[in-house]
Amino acid sequence: MRACRKCHILTTRSTCPYCGEATSEHWQGYMVIIDPVNSQIARQMKLKMPGKYALKVR
Amino acid sequence: MGKIFVVKTQVGQEENVANLFEKANRRTGKIHAILAPKELRGYIFVEGEDIETIKTVIRHMRYARDVLDKEVQIEEIENFLFPPSAVANIEEGMIIELVSGPFKGEKAKVTRIDDAKEEITVELLDAMVPIPITVRGEQVRVLKKKEGE
Repeated sequence: MRACRKCHILTTRSTCPYCGEATSEHWQGYMVIIDPVNSQIARQMKLKMPGKYALKVR
Repeated sequence: MGKIFVVKTQVGQEENVANLFEKANRRTGKIHAILAPKELRGYIFVEGEDIETIKTVIRHMRYARDVLDKEVQIEEIENFLFPPSAVANIEEGMIIELVSGPFKGEKAKVTRIDDAKEEITVELLDAMVPIPITVRGEQVRVLKKKEGE
């Protein structure tokens, strides 16, 4: 899996399908957002889209 | 808003358990988010409606061990949500020790820092000819702030 350098979403592609930024294979920490509306974690991270994210991308 | 709880997992299976929680949510619909920080081995954070839902879900879940009764406040996990850069406390000119890799145990002077890649370029102190070596920020330990200090 690769992570977008900008929005941190995990994808298999070399560019992010959502923001178009380049992705990196060097990432750490795993986060799954299921319900961004009712999630404190999603609010804190300013995430509005459900999905799988990396916590840190290099 | 959901409540955050700590779930004990088998060490090394944190991501798998996070994925199993996502699958379980298709039945319960009461889980909002799962967090598996790299620094924490054997534990993950699960945000859900209540602890009973999480207890029910882990009962038959492989690799999940237990859930801690105490709720975790969002402020307590902020440092996991925004992990600091590995090169945050390193400056040019510092003397460091390499803690892993082929040059483990060698002392070196920092000549350049790449914040984006979290890499630093160093020159080994004991080398006859100064050869720049680029290493990851996690691979070093700061010995002295600046040469001579």
